[in-house]
Amino acid sequence: MSRLICPFCGPRELREFEFHKTLPNAGESPFERVYLRVDSLTLSVEHWQHVQGCRAWLQIERNPSTGEVLMTRLARSGEAP
Amino acid sequence: MSARRKGTRLSADTLRFSFDGRTFTAQVGDTAASALLAAGVKAMGRSVKYRRLRGVMTAGPEEPNALLTVGAAPANIPNVPATQLKLSDGMVLQTQNRWPSLRFDLTALLQLGSAYFGAGFYYKTFILPKWRFWEGMIRRLAGLGNAPGRSDLPAPSLEHTHCDVLVAGAGPAGLAAALAAARNGARVVLAEREPAVGGELEFETAKIEGRSAGEWTCAALGELTRLGARVLTDTTLVGGSTGEMVLHTETAGMPGPARLIKIRPTALVIATGAVERMIAFTDNDRPGVYLLGAAERYLARYGVAVGQRLVLFANHDRVYLAAARLAAGGMTIAAILDTRVSGAQSDAARSAAAELTARGTACLAGHAVIAARGRRAVSAAVVAPVADPARMQSLACDAILVSGGWGPVIHAALQEGGTKRFDETLSAFVATDASDWRVTAGSANGAISLAAALKEGVNAGVAAAARAQRRGPMAAVPAASGDPEPHLQAYWRTPSDERAEKTQFVDPQNDVTVADLRSTLAEGFIDIEHVKRYTALGFGTDQAKFGGQLGAAIVAQLRGEPVPAVGTSRLRPPYHPVTLRSLAGHRVGAHLRPARVTPLHDWHLAQGAEMEAMGLWMRPRYYRANGSNATDAGIIEAGRVRTKGGIVDGSTLGKIEVAGPDAAAFLDAMYLSKASTIKVGRSKYMVNLREDGMVLDDGIVLRLSEERFLATVSTGHTDHMVSHFEHYRETEWASARLTLTDVTDAWAVIVVAGPESRAVLASLLGAQWQESLARLRHMDFATGLHDGHDLTVLRASFSGELAFELHCRPLIAKGLWEALVGAGLAPYGLEALDILRLEKGYLVSSELNGQTTPFDLGLDGLVALGNPCVGRDLLDRPAFREPHRPRLVGLRASDGKSRFLGGAQLTEDAVSAVPVGYVTSTAYSPALGEWIGLAFVSRAVPEGATLHVRDPLRGDNTTVKVVSPVHYDPKSDRMKS
Repeated sequence: MSRLICPFCGPRELREFEFHKTLPNAGESPFERVYLRVDSLTLSVEHWQHVQGCRAWLQIERNPSTGEVLMTRLARSGEAP
Repeated sequence: MSARRKGTRLSADTLRFSFDGRTFTAQVGDTAASALLAAGVKAMGRSVKYRRLRGVMTAGPEEPNALLTVGAAPANIPNVPATQLKLSDGMVLQTQNRWPSLRFDLTALLQLGSAYFGAGFYYKTFILPKWRFWEGMIRRLAGLGNAPGRSDLPAPSLEHTHCDVLVAGAGPAGLAAALAAARNGARVVLAEREPAVGGELEFETAKIEGRSAGEWTCAALGELTRLGARVLTDTTLVGGSTGEMVLHTETAGMPGPARLIKIRPTALVIATGAVERMIAFTDNDRPGVYLLGAAERYLARYGVAVGQRLVLFANHDRVYLAAARLAAGGMTIAAILDTRVSGAQSDAARSAAAELTARGTACLAGHAVIAARGRRAVSAAVVAPVADPARMQSLACDAILVSGGWGPVIHAALQEGGTKRFDETLSAFVATDASDWRVTAGSANGAISLAAALKEGVNAGVAAAARAQRRGPMAAVPAASGDPEPHLQAYWRTPSDERAEKTQFVDPQNDVTVADLRSTLAEGFIDIEHVKRYTALGFGTDQAKFGGQLGAAIVAQLRGEPVPAVGTSRLRPPYHPVTLRSLAGHRVGAHLRPARVTPLHDWHLAQGAEMEAMGLWMRPRYYRANGSNATDAGIIEAGRVRTKGGIVDGSTLGKIEVAGPDAAAFLDAMYLSKASTIKVGRSKYMVNLREDGMVLDDGIVLRLSEERFLATVSTGHTDHMVSHFEHYRETEWASARLTLTDVTDAWAVIVVAGPESRAVLASLLGAQWQESLARLRHMDFATGLHDGHDLTVLRASFSGELAFELHCRPLIAKGLWEALVGAGLAPYGLEALDILRLEKGYLVSSELNGQTTPFDLGLDGLVALGNPCVGRDLLDRPAFREPHRPRLVGLRASDGKSRFLGGAQLTEDAVSAVPVGYVTSTAYSPALGEWIGLAFVSRAVPEGATLHVRDPLRGDNTTVKVVSPVHYDPKSDRMKS
């Protein structure tokens, strides 16, 4: 994964983006949402920001073992994290 | 110097250079290696460990021995392979690893002890009294060359670009690939490490499409240029990953600057060729031992004969063709030793041998070189049948040319994520092209014969272009007659007794011998990566190019296993040494990163401010008129604020405007206390939490109107806080009616502090401000115009004095500032600001360090308000209330005068190793006349307790008393006056 496709700016170098966090997936309690993650070899759902571009917040699904980006969309169009 | 030499790289013009103080003449186009060889210089260095005299062995970047220093200290460039060093007029070169001179080297006495200097010798031997006792002495002897003290190289350039097809390597396969891709319409970049394209075509007696190899190369280059391809010579593919490849140009002595190109091709063709392999025999490191291909290169490119009477030693057919070419160049072939017995040779080899024998050249099948003779240079080769090594005979010669086959250069493929497999016909590792965007072609893929290389090149070029959606009909493979298949039979080392293995060199640059590999295995380092680290096999400037495959194969032999079972150590980028300078590009010194400056920056500089970087911001630390160092000046500046008043540039303060019908509710969720209860015209000190409950930042929030707020955040946290707010707006608050604007640069901030601040402001601001100044309570603000521009006056204090923040438009900042100075208020810097806030126990990033909860900071009252903000839930964790949690306290030296510094540990007595806390900030307080500090200390330690400051590195060990964090004016009467 060395480029991300920003919905506004198109394919841009990874260095323009900043990783924020892996989205909660281990339960609904505050502790689980902050501290626990169920790791997967094939799917990680993350929030990134196009910090050095349009500053859009992106929700990205990627395969951590291959680096392949499976989906990119604006974070705000999704349900609440 | 004799007659002009002729070679494909040479012009007739001459130049002069010096080598270890002697002046030599060379021709333009010469490398240091070719010019020195032409002048009869064989010794070009000494080895790193045994100090053995060494000569050049290769003609490429795999050169292990001839590493030179270019230029004089401190701007010297060490470890440049003589083979890659293009000469320029007046160049000054020196050999390395010798003292006082190359010929007469005292450190060569180390050779006497070489029987004991096996792998791990230093670490095993110099244990007593301890390693550190010996280290300095050993370090002086160790290492390659001397690090430069400065660089006089021109600033390197960095380019980002892309193309359809990147072809790395412009030998026959690379040229064919680039041509095929370009003919199909692809935008092609062709990168070649050497100063000229052609690769092996430069010295092969080949015919392609009925033309000589040289003519075909010229025609190919011309066509590529016409088709718009970009051909980069002197440019090496040094690494790359995930689609971005890095090309590097840096030739020591070249007039132009170094260049780094980060290029993103749609498809990549790796045609990087193969590196010839050495065979291990006794004293195979003597000056006069060369790789066979190197001798051919020196002849074809530079018209240099590496010797007059040659012994050729190889395990494949190519040696006979090479012999013919070298003989045509005027050299005498004393003998050709083919390790293959006659029955194992190809028909071509047998007939070539017969022909050469008929013309008087001894061709010995099934023979090997057992040892080289001669101390300073080769004088003879001791040869014997492989099957009967005791039947030795000596052949007089002045050069031994060795070829143990070829190792494909697959670095780029492996670094880019590929895997390797062992090719049995070549006895070498080749890349497995698992990825559809990366194709390996030519000898890099094991296709050693010219015809096969051209065919692979064409196919790779067509496939690469197709991936870039450039498809065309043309895929004709040029007909060629060149060097055929080599019919190689693996052969790694000649038989010898174990004693002689001590000078059978596998990796000459690191003095790794067969004996080292044997002892390393005996000591239990079985894995090739362990062998590498224990012996240093494959370390250094050539990064295993010369000895890596040979070493791995011999390890396999010693382990009694097939070569693929051992593999090779990992090939890491960069492919060849890249100076840090060219990696840094223009990002050095002041260009490392952009600087943000306030509207008052020039004034600060003009008034002698010592500036300090805070993040990207430049801020005055102190004004030199007040003292020669920060501590002295800070004390004067801070003291003045308390007695009279002062001004400080607070423009760097982060400012985020939050507006909209849902702004108040949003801020309620962002802060520990509610913003919705702030009245218009009022402000409040507020604290943010991270979602895990730790304090993130603090600042003052102003309510500008019902639906508009200005949140101020710490200078260093601004970018993060903007992102933090934006994240919540874009996720949980996505449906809120709300805008966030970073207005940090839209407002300059001048803080006016001190007992005289109100009076001075009243004298400067117009009539419409007089009522406001008289009315403003602590944390009130007023807005209006000054000089026709917006101005906000906020009564708030970070110093504990009566103080006002002027938020003004940058346009009028300088005028206001100068008027305040004119009215008698002196500017103060960060140092004084820090003293003043510390006297009052206010927090900065030393205390808001990401590990502290609101309870630790004494903000329990804010938590008790019960606002359900971000991070609030996790504050209820019981661990946050445990008695060992830290608590913010003040410290004073027990004797009322000793200094102590931030970062020191605090213990309960002078011997305990268990700290009960640590000091976060300290300063000398002019108001109190002693050193004061803030610290985090276990809740179990009561106020009034005495603690020991333990600061072994700086030596400030003293005792301190735990006091309230508010050192000065605890009731804040001054601030509220």
